[in-house]
Formats: sequence, structure tokens, C-alpha cells
Amino acid sequence: LVVSNDNPTAGVGLIDFVQHLEDYAPTIPDSVTSYYLSRAGFQSNDPRITRLISLSAQKFISDIVNDALQHCKMKASGQSSKIKGKEKKLTLTLEDLTPALAEYGINVKKPAYYV
Amino acid sequence: MALEGDRQATSSRRSLKVAISALVQECGFSVAENSVLETLTEMLQSLLSEIGQTSRAYAEHAGRTNPMITDVMMSLIELGINIDGIPRHARRVNKSVFLPPSQSGPSQQ
Repeated sequence: LVVSNDNPTAGVGLIDFVQHLEDYAPTIPDSVTSYYLSRAGFQSNDPRITRLISLSAQKFISDIVNDALQHCKMKASGQSSKIKGKEKKLTLTLEDLTPALAEYGINVKKPAYYV
Repeated sequence: MALEGDRQATSSRRSLKVAISALVQECGFSVAENSVLETLTEMLQSLLSEIGQTSRAYAEHAGRTNPMITDVMMSLIELGINIDGIPRHARRVNKSVFLPPSQSGPSQQ
């Protein structure tokens, strides 16, 4: 969340990087990103710009999910070590996601009636 | 016309959910609650719209109608997204790509 101000050339590498996005396929499809961008009044003929936005958006989600993964692992290590031996399937729950999102200033609350 | 827009909104939202599921799986989860996926989808929708609006505002502020890469970078910084990690994220080893939804043809009546 913190943008480093001590490195004034931080964006230069990114501009070079964008030139290589000509034939790169992000996980979020171009058509989907450009649909939401056009709904916001953003029109661009350059697919590289769309791909940069897709990449930054999916990085945002990836970072949050990674934080949730750390919460999930921490919680699992605190519990009994009976199931330590076998490979356990990891489940992403709202319980793990909520503290991860809180770090980003997003407060998620489960409605009380929603079980 | 309204129906056409609805259809596109539905299909876009569905693809976002698939993309999020792929990202969640990449991170190491094998199962995810539906409410988590819906929350993340809603956030991603909002984030994409917000990046679009901010970038357009920056471009228009500079007297342009076509946004440039720098406008997008400025808006990403303003939205508090760390742009340094983007190239590393793009080059991650377990990247998954799925085929984008095809354009829906003219409706048969």
C-alpha cells in the first residue's frame, strides 16, 4: 500500500516493461477489462494500456489473497498438529480474507442473518 | 439495447470470477468459499472502474482525449497500488490464462 518516494526512477522500469506487453496475455481477459474501462469513460486503442491495467488489478487481488494465505497458515499452525503430517487442502474462507482486507482499509462484514 | 448491456455485464462479471478463481488457485488454495469469490469480484469490478475513471480524469486534465501510459501510472499511484511489483507479477511462473469469452452473436428470434 505504501508507495516509495525515495526512488524517483521507480516508474521508468515500468514504462520499459509496458513496451513488452505487445503479445502478453493477462489472466483477466482484455475484452473484460476494456468493457469495465469503457463503462468508466476510458477509451484506448492501445492494448498495452489495457493489459497494464489488467495486470495491476490482478496483482492487487493476488496480494490480498496471499495475505489471506498467510493468515490461513498462521491459524493452521496454531491449531493441533495432528493433521500436520498429511497434505491438507487449503480453503479460502471469509474468516481469513477479512483480516487481509482490513490491512488494505477494506472492511467486510458478514450480514448477521447470512449463515 | 438494455438487454444487450445486461448480457455483457453478466458475462464480464462471470469471466472476472473465473479469473479470480485462477488467481486464488495460483496462490495455493484449492477450495474457496463462494462469498469470498463474490467479494473479490465486486472489488475487482470496482477497482477496474476506478482506474478507468481516474486515468480518464488525468488524461482530460492534460487536455487529451486518449489516455497515455503515464496517466494510468499516475492513477495507479493515486489509488495506492504499488507499481514496482507489476513486472515481477507478470513474470510469475505459474501464470494461468483462460480463453476470453467470445462475442455473443446476433440474437436469434
